[in-house]
Amino acid sequence: MTLDVGTELTPVVKELTQEKINRYARAGGDGNPLHTDPEFAARTQFGGTIAHGLLVLAYLSEMMTAAFGQAWLSGGRLKVRFKAPARPGDTVSAVGRVVRAEGGRMVCSVECRNQRDELLISGEAEVAA
Amino acid sequence: MPPRLDTLPKGYQLPPLAFELSPEWAREYVAAVDDGAIGALDGEFVPPMAVVALGARALFEGAALPPGAVHLGQEIEFVRPLRRGERLTASARVVSRGERQGWVLMGIEMKVEDQGGLPVMTGRTTLTMPAGGEREA
Repeated sequence: MTLDVGTELTPVVKELTQEKINRYARAGGDGNPLHTDPEFAARTQFGGTIAHGLLVLAYLSEMMTAAFGQAWLSGGRLKVRFKAPARPGDTVSAVGRVVRAEGGRMVCSVECRNQRDELLISGEAEVAA
Repeated sequence: MPPRLDTLPKGYQLPPLAFELSPEWAREYVAAVDDGAIGALDGEFVPPMAVVALGARALFEGAALPPGAVHLGQEIEFVRPLRRGERLTASARVVSRGERQGWVLMGIEMKVEDQGGLPVMTGRTTLTMPAGGEREA
């Protein structure tokens, strides 16, 4: 699928809960207590549990799958920085926009924000045009 | 007992881990990330980020993640769609390591290959973690 430069991708919006984080920890085999142990996490710089970066990144990937279908699964590229943690109780919005076409690929600016419009993840994703 | 991740030097190759994208695990993963898009393509496809999660699991089996480790960045390339039931092998290598003020900054390259030895996903993870594994974040 080819989209014009400037096209906004349909956002993916998710409510994060501790149960969802715990479920991801079990599926992903990541038992870091920063995600699952409120007592441990309360003593860290974050002051409480935070979601796995790969869980929030999965929301961006879902947005790209919905927008580009199999082209995302076959040759999709993603490069992001984690800017701030997502926490239980947050509403996370994954958004994106086609910013340029180069070398036969479409490049999208992508990001995740919470309900306070704080930037959680930012970067670029690209697929074959 | 695997070594702690923060103690690994640059160039350290973590042991490869073979795994299957079992239908049961794939269902568990899709439910955990609440992915509403993958099923619209093909009921047998697995969300591409699932393979990244399994690559990370391979990493954690080969090296213990210190409590308080934080994910700073991620680069990924998905080579081809993956279906439930495929058997894959994940490997990872420490490609950069620095230490400052009691914190380790580490870059790790991950690769997941199919049974034919062809890559299906490559990526690079950037993490920071307390040096010594004792300090809290």
